[in-house]
Amino acid sequence: MLYKYDDIKVLKDQLEFVDTAIIPFVSADMDSGALSYANDIELLQLVTIQLEKQFKGRVFITPAMTTVQSDTTVLEQYEAQLYDYGFKKVVIITHLDLGEPHTAIRLNHIPLQDMTNDIKFDLVNEEVKKVMKTIISIWNS
Amino acid sequence: MSQKVTRRQFLNYSLMGVGSFMAAGMILPMGRMALDPLFQEDAEGDMVTTSVTIDEITEEPMQVDFTFEQEDAWYTSEVTDFAWVFRDGDEIIAFSPVCKHLGCTVTWAADDNNPERFFCPCHNGLYEKNGNNVPGTPPTGPLDQFEVGESDGYLTIGQVVPNQLV
Repeated sequence: MLYKYDDIKVLKDQLEFVDTAIIPFVSADMDSGALSYANDIELLQLVTIQLEKQFKGRVFITPAMTTVQSDTTVLEQYEAQLYDYGFKKVVIITHLDLGEPHTAIRLNHIPLQDMTNDIKFDLVNEEVKKVMKTIISIWNS
Repeated sequence: MSQKVTRRQFLNYSLMGVGSFMAAGMILPMGRMALDPLFQEDAEGDMVTTSVTIDEITEEPMQVDFTFEQEDAWYTSEVTDFAWVFRDGDEIIAFSPVCKHLGCTVTWAADDNNPERFFCPCHNGLYEKNGNNVPGTPPTGPLDQFEVGESDGYLTIGQVVPNQLV
């Protein structure tokens, strides 16, 4: 499910099944790393779209949350809100190193812009599979 | 015997000739426009040709990708979807991979304990090979099917229809 009108309308009734919230978390610093952040955001978008397709009935994907200077205060507030709403698991997908209290899945940095579409597709799918496996193991734990 | 054409007749004929050309010049494009929708074929009834030949399909369900154009309001995008395709006797069966529970994607034989069933990882839903949902698991109905066809030896995939096997 996604953060959109039709989905949120039925979300409350389906919390029994949709028990996992996923926050895509990206950095948008406008410094020397901007090029690589832009690339990371693109990859994260591709991964979340695929992920939503695969796990539509059990995950709720929030809009991508953007930070600067790796500040995680808002992220922590949002996590708390999602737990309060009734989600049992809140998983963050990101390229950043968040450290302990968060359940986070870290993606690889993949330079998508230099690749042909086929290779890009393969690499993104690899990444999606990795994320799916981690999420399944989070569910089974 | 030479028949004389009078000045009046000559003028009549030429006026009629020129007039009918002008009328035709106006009416033909209009008629063409009005009839045009009849000539626009719906790409063989919306069947999408895949890159898999009929001969390749075995009794083991395989993932067959297909791409089509989807219109969301004013935005047209290319969408890649897939079906679980296998052979059942002479028939080709194509199942939609969308779980009937809450819409996750099901996989063939992904659960080690159920090697001959479709498995949904979200809430451990199970389906038999004919698409029927296994009682006691969350799904409430059998998997949907795709219409299938053949075009030059290649598999074509059409609309989603309710399961015809159970």
